[in-house]
Amino acid sequence: MAGVPSRGRWMVVTTGMMFAFVFVLIRLVNLQVLQAAELTIKADRQHQKSVAFEGARGTIYDRHGKVLAMNMDVPSVFGVPSSLANPGQTAKHLSPILHIRTGELEKKLRQEKHFVWLARKLEPEQGRRLERLALDGVGVVMEGRRFYPKGPLLSHVLGFAGMDDRGLEGIELKYETFLRGEKRVVILQRDALGRAVFPKGLNEKGVAAGHSLVLTIDEVIQYIAEKELDEAVNRTGAKSGTIIVTNPKTGAILAMAVSPRFDPNTVGALSPDRWRNRALTDSYEPGSTMKVVLAAAALEEKVMSPGSMIFGEHGQMAVANTIIHDHEKSGWMTFAQMIQRSSNIGAAKVGMTLGDWRFYDYLKEFGFGDKSDIDLPGEVTGLLRSPREWGRRSVASISMGQEIGVTPVQMIAAIGAIANGGLLMKPHVMSEIRNTKNLPIAQTKPQVRRRVISTETARTLTHIMEGVVTNGTGSKAVIPGYRVAGKTGTAQKIDPRTGAYSSALLVGSFVGFVPAEDPQLAMIVVIDEPRGESWGGVVAAPVFGKVGEQVLNYLGIPAEESVKIALADSTL
Amino acid sequence: MKGIVFTVVMSMTLLFVWERVDVVRLGYHIERLKSQKVLLERERDGLRVKLSSLTSPERIARAASDKLSMGRPEKGQIILVHLEPEPPPILQPDSQQGEVRVAKNMPVRRSK
Repeated sequence: MAGVPSRGRWMVVTTGMMFAFVFVLIRLVNLQVLQAAELTIKADRQHQKSVAFEGARGTIYDRHGKVLAMNMDVPSVFGVPSSLANPGQTAKHLSPILHIRTGELEKKLRQEKHFVWLARKLEPEQGRRLERLALDGVGVVMEGRRFYPKGPLLSHVLGFAGMDDRGLEGIELKYETFLRGEKRVVILQRDALGRAVFPKGLNEKGVAAGHSLVLTIDEVIQYIAEKELDEAVNRTGAKSGTIIVTNPKTGAILAMAVSPRFDPNTVGALSPDRWRNRALTDSYEPGSTMKVVLAAAALEEKVMSPGSMIFGEHGQMAVANTIIHDHEKSGWMTFAQMIQRSSNIGAAKVGMTLGDWRFYDYLKEFGFGDKSDIDLPGEVTGLLRSPREWGRRSVASISMGQEIGVTPVQMIAAIGAIANGGLLMKPHVMSEIRNTKNLPIAQTKPQVRRRVISTETARTLTHIMEGVVTNGTGSKAVIPGYRVAGKTGTAQKIDPRTGAYSSALLVGSFVGFVPAEDPQLAMIVVIDEPRGESWGGVVAAPVFGKVGEQVLNYLGIPAEESVKIALADSTL
Repeated sequence: MKGIVFTVVMSMTLLFVWERVDVVRLGYHIERLKSQKVLLERERDGLRVKLSSLTSPERIARAASDKLSMGRPEKGQIILVHLEPEPPPILQPDSQQGEVRVAKNMPVRRSK
C-alpha cells in the first residue's frame, strides 16, 4: 500500500486543518461580530468621505434684471501643520502670493493642529498660483464669495454678507432665509488614491442655491440719485446726505442712497457709522417740511382753506414765554402764502387752532412715531410724544417741525400720501422672490396702509405745494416744463455740547413730487450739517431738481407743456 | 449539458463583473463631467460678475465723459414728445414706433 497515507498522517492533516478552520472562525466572529461596529466605522472612514455642500447664495437684481449682488466660487487656502516638515520654508513660499507676512504665516503653520485656515476667499489668480506651487501640507478649496459688481452703488440698501456667507446688513440680512443656499452633507466613496468613485447621493437632488431677489430699485435712477447727492454733500461740505426716490402710487422705492457711500466688497474694518442706512435708522427734526402735514390736517379738518387769512405778526410772536421768529417778516397772508413763505408764526397759529390732540392724530395717521414697516432692517420709530407729555409750546413747535423726530422713510411715505390722493402706502424695496428655476414664488403688491386725507384735500395741498416751487422757498427745485410740488425745510440741530438748538448745526431738506398733475416720482433730499448757506431751498432743492429732470427723461415721462404730435403726421 | 451550464454560469458571472466595472467607469466619467460643469459654471459666474461691473452706470458715464468727451445734455435740451394714439398706420419701411426724443439744436434723424 505504498503511496497511500497512513491513518496517523490523515489524522495530523485533518486536525491541523480543523484547528486552522476554528482559528479562522474565531477570527471571523471576532471581526464580524465582536468588533463589527468599530471596524465598520473605521472602514467607512477610509473609503467614504463626507462633504458638506452649501448651495450658492441667491442673486440680487434691480427691477430690470441687472445684477447687484451675486456669488462666485473663489479659492481659500488651508494648511495641515501636522504634515509640514519645514513650516518656515512653506511660509516663505506662500507670503508673496497671499500678501501676508512670513512671520504671521509661520506662526499659524507651527500650531499643533491638523487644519488651519491661512487665507480665505482670495482672488482666482492667487488660487491658480498656489495650485502651480503644489506645496505639501497646503491645500486649496473653493468657497462662495459675495460680489457686489457695482461697487458702492446701493451699498446702504444691499448691506453685505460676511465671510461665512451670512447676511449681516441691509437686504442681505433682511432676506437671509430666502437668499441662503441649502446646506447638505453628501457621502462619497473613495478609491485607494482618495478619488471620489461613486457618490452615494448621486441620485439625490443636488444642493439647491438660494432664492433670487428682484428689487424695486432701478439701477440707473439709483446712480443718478447717488451722483447728485454726493456732489451736493461735497459742494456744501456737509456731514452726510440722504435721498429717497419712490413711486408714490405704489410705495415702491426706486432709489435710496446715503452719502458718503461705502464699497460692500471691502467693508473690512469700516465702522457701523459708515454702513448704517440713515434713511431709516436716524431720525431728525424735519423743520418746515412738517408744515405740509400740518396743512393737510388743517385742510382736511376744514380749519383752514387756501384763502384763509393769517396775520404774520411782522415776524415775531410770543408763545409760552418764548419768541417765535420768521425769516421773512409778514403781515396778513393767506394760508397758501403761509406755506409758500414757510412762516413759522403762521404754522404755529394753525397748529394751535387745530389743537394738540387733533394735530397729534394726524401725525400718527401719516405714520410718524411708528415704523413704516419697510422691508429693511434697523428701522427706528422716530420721536413723537403723546400730547400728555407736551409742553405749552409743543403744538407750535411741532407745527414748524421741532420737538419731533422723523426718518426720511417716514417723511417720504407721508409725502407720497399727498401725491397719490391721500393713501398712505407701505414702502418696500423687494419686488419679487424667484426660485432657482427663475419662477416667482413671492411678489410684493402695493399695500395701502390707510387713507389719511381725502382726494380733494390732497389736490388742494398739491396746488399749494406747487406754489412753494413757483413762488416760494423751493424755486431751485424747478424742472423746466414740469409742474413740481414740494416743500423746503431747514431745522436746527441740538448742539451736544450745550444741549440747546445750534445756529450752526442745521439740516436742510426738500420733499416733493413730480409731475404734480399725475405724480410719478416722490423724492426727499436731506443734507445734514452743510457749511455756509444751509437753507433747504439752497442745499437740497437743487438736488431734487437735478435728479428729477434726469429721472423724468430716463423714464420717458413727457412734460406737460411738451409738443404733442401725431405720429402718423409726423414729419420728423 | 454540463458544458452548457458552465457556459451560462460563466457568462452571467462575466456579465455581472463587466456591469460592476462599467458602473465604476461611468462613476469616474460622471465625476469628470461634474468637475467640468463646476469649472464652466465658475467661469460663467466670473463672466457675469465682470459683465455686471463693466455695465455699471458709473463706469459707463465715466467712459463717456473721459474717453468719448461726451457731456450731459443741458437743462431743457431734451424734450420728450407726446405721441397721440392714432389708428394703426400702414407701416412704412422707415416708420418709427414708440417714444420720440428730440434734442434741441441738434439735427433730427430717424432711426429704426
